[in-house]
Amino acid sequence: MIRILAMLAAGSLAFSAAAPPAAATDVFPYPMKVELLDNGLKVVSIPLKNPDIIAFYTVVRSGSRNEIEPGKSGFAHFFEHMMFKGTKTVPRPAYDDYLTRLGAGTNGYTSDDYTFYFVVFAGRDNLEEVVRTEADRFLNLYYTEEMIKTEAPVIEGEYLASVSNPGRRVDELLRDTAYDLHSYKHTTLGYLRDIQDMPRQFDYSLLYKDRFYAPDNSILLVVGDFDHGRLMDLVRKYYAPWKKSNYVLQTPVEPPQKEARRAHLLWPGKTIARLAIGFHGPAFSDELPDKAAMDLLAAVAFAPSSPIIQRLVRDEQKCLSLYADFSDTRDPGLLVLNAAVKNDEDLPYVEARILEELARLKNEPVSEKDLADIKANLKYSTAAALGTTDGVAGILSFYLNLTGDPGTLNRLFALYDRITPADIRSVAARYFRAENSTTVTLSSGGEK
Amino acid sequence: MNARTTKSALAVLAALAFAAILASCGAGAGPDQLTTALLSLPDNPLVAFRILINAGSAEDPTGKDGLCRLTWSLLAEGGSRLRSAQDISRALFPMAASISLSLDKETAVISATVHKDNLRTFYAIFRDMLLDPGFRAEDFERLRAAQLAYVEKTLTANMNEQLGKEILGLMIYDGHPYGRLDEGTVESIRTLTLEEAKEFYRQNFVRGNIVLGLAGGYPEGFPAEVEKDFKKLPAGFTPRIPLSARRPRRGLEFVLAEKDTPGTAISMGFPVALTKADRDFFALWVAGAHFGEHRQHVSHLFQKIREERGQNYGDYAYIEHFVQGRDKFPAPGHARRQQYFSIWIRPLPNANRHFVIRQTLRELRRLVDEGISEERFQLVRTYLLNYTKLYAQTLDERLGWRMDSRFYGYEDFLAEAARILPTLKREDVNAAIKKYLQADNVEIAVITPNAAALMDDLVSNRLSPIRYANPNMPAAVLEEDEVIRSYPLAVNRENVRIAPAAEFFKTSGIPGR
Repeated sequence: MIRILAMLAAGSLAFSAAAPPAAATDVFPYPMKVELLDNGLKVVSIPLKNPDIIAFYTVVRSGSRNEIEPGKSGFAHFFEHMMFKGTKTVPRPAYDDYLTRLGAGTNGYTSDDYTFYFVVFAGRDNLEEVVRTEADRFLNLYYTEEMIKTEAPVIEGEYLASVSNPGRRVDELLRDTAYDLHSYKHTTLGYLRDIQDMPRQFDYSLLYKDRFYAPDNSILLVVGDFDHGRLMDLVRKYYAPWKKSNYVLQTPVEPPQKEARRAHLLWPGKTIARLAIGFHGPAFSDELPDKAAMDLLAAVAFAPSSPIIQRLVRDEQKCLSLYADFSDTRDPGLLVLNAAVKNDEDLPYVEARILEELARLKNEPVSEKDLADIKANLKYSTAAALGTTDGVAGILSFYLNLTGDPGTLNRLFALYDRITPADIRSVAARYFRAENSTTVTLSSGGEK
Repeated sequence: MNARTTKSALAVLAALAFAAILASCGAGAGPDQLTTALLSLPDNPLVAFRILINAGSAEDPTGKDGLCRLTWSLLAEGGSRLRSAQDISRALFPMAASISLSLDKETAVISATVHKDNLRTFYAIFRDMLLDPGFRAEDFERLRAAQLAYVEKTLTANMNEQLGKEILGLMIYDGHPYGRLDEGTVESIRTLTLEEAKEFYRQNFVRGNIVLGLAGGYPEGFPAEVEKDFKKLPAGFTPRIPLSARRPRRGLEFVLAEKDTPGTAISMGFPVALTKADRDFFALWVAGAHFGEHRQHVSHLFQKIREERGQNYGDYAYIEHFVQGRDKFPAPGHARRQQYFSIWIRPLPNANRHFVIRQTLRELRRLVDEGISEERFQLVRTYLLNYTKLYAQTLDERLGWRMDSRFYGYEDFLAEAARILPTLKREDVNAAIKKYLQADNVEIAVITPNAAALMDDLVSNRLSPIRYANPNMPAAVLEEDEVIRSYPLAVNRENVRIAPAAEFFKTSGIPGR
């Protein structure tokens, strides 16, 4: 849900002739078709009448969560880079030329649970070339050990580009401190030491591909200006030979945290101080109420219009920003309260006010008005985010990754509708416990 | 070609009196009249507002850098006379409507998108924020403090790549109205007062400076209602600030911002004498996309530095000021009368900085000397024709591109591109490269540790060997490396300035001069 809020700024409706909603109360208004190939590949298709744009997404349900072996952090993201290396029939230069001619908006994106690949392009006549070329790289990816060794330093460059951002470092330290066993312990980029070892991971890359880049761990999502029958003919033609993996991932179960944890990072030079307080929370669910209740709780308590933001950001001006972040993840994730604090010496004060607010939420139910407001906000945010072909694909691909079921988004919103102030108070009491928390601070280390 | 001549003539006029051109398309009738840009899409459930203010950071009074940003922030994030910022925030939340400010040198845009269910309620609030602002001391202090914190701490300590781009801006526009940080300096922000912000508003938030942009499913008669409200603003407009000639260049000029960092960030560039208003823009656009299209594999620099050598995450070039919007597309709302060419080299291991500076300048030299091949020309032109179809997808983007088009004298710049690009020839592109690009006079900003050592390397033209994780690099790459590692750069010691990164933007200009 937080994801939708974050996407609001980007979205607005660009097409007008959408088909009538599947059901009057559904938040996702477009009819879709779902088909399953014999090899386990699921295809979700949403034809829209206009405009002349098609979004072709491949959802691989493997992200940093799948990096369960020591020394392999960051591998899902690294492998995403290798997916652009071409095949024997369409080697890298030819692949680049194809994308260039197509003028496509294209990329890969890796996160905790997934890796997305998308090609957003104009012109339905280009559909066959896109299906053929995308299928080719998923079925026939080819690279050499030398290519691994050249690509690995690019990841280090990406890491270097991120290290001047204290938010990234706080996230890294928070995860590392809060988790003992689960692979959410590391960020998607991975530990620097593992990144530096990537040039030597050719064999592991082949194993990784066999395990996760398979039809039974992937979903195709196609949105926009195309004919469903034509799409399915092409998908069957080009994806049928893709072999199942049958690999079953066992992610380590994180033991319950027994006592509060804390870590501090001294930043070289001046910086805005940072505070992050994380609480272990539930995994995503469109059936069980806890995650949905915590989403609403976080959204109500830390909305831009909430009393604590008013106090710390507007009135006292101790914080430049304060927000709650609780990503939807397949395994239990962290609800994190993030503050950018103007002066280092105010860190304890800001932390105390946030903890007071959390204590209040355990004792006082949120008002019906606040709850209604957040539900309205979600409804309108989603309508805006679903406003472009790309927006529809972006939102739906995310929920497909979580459950594999395109009906999830509508079920989730139905679940939000059922959440009451009592549910919210209950999750506050159960999750906002000191022994379930991890606090990370970052402050200036003097000029360098 | 007659149509083109007219366009160019319009473009010249646009540069002189932007508001006058827009008047022909909107409701106003003269330079101090309000103008309107409408894009009616009755079936669309959303409505997008873009309020373009024809006064950007170049209008900051001397010594008051950052005043424009602070004033327009007060409109976008402060309260109105009737409602506090908190009340507004509370009212907008259930509508999921947010108001944002985008500022550039010559213009600012305050924008919002709202569901038409909420249009009336939203507009009543939004209107008061702009036309009857609260100018409360607490909003002023909060926003000024945030602006100060950004300049004093965030930019210099936490954003190496952005810092490099901003220092490059200072270098290219030294002594020019564009040559200041939009947010201001630590020194200037501290002197800003609420009275000055009110005065800036009074002088610049006037009828002739405003372009009302509306798109989407608004009801009939709504634009007239909005126009009626905004016509209550005082008449007047801000004459375009004269843009002085940029000082003569002196070869390769470096500013090394010293900082303890594991990666070196590099930005380089120089002014170019064209904008979207010029016919040559389209040809140079092909050259720019070929050389360094933003975050795309088609970029030649990306291929040479990242793909062949794995040096960093990406390497791009731009023929005009570039701000990334949705996804990797250019954000509208950054139109300017003068432009610059720039190259962005993303952070790379410090040990390779000298090599990559050499490699980049050598590639620029090759572009200028050799131009682009017929094959690349065909490929990149096809790319641009297709890729630009994706630029304007959201309502806000569609409206924004239309409004920018008018700044440059077009009805629809993207439609014009689709018309002009197919008529181009390779010779047009190579002629534009020769006419507008060069590799002799380049400003280069580097964020890096141990700057004195880099200066010595540059000035002495010391060999810059490079090592790779891959022991079997292709022979062609190693052969080229042999050339690059000794590629001579004409760097004079007096053209290299070094200052600690933390010293930048404390006061105006480049520290340590």
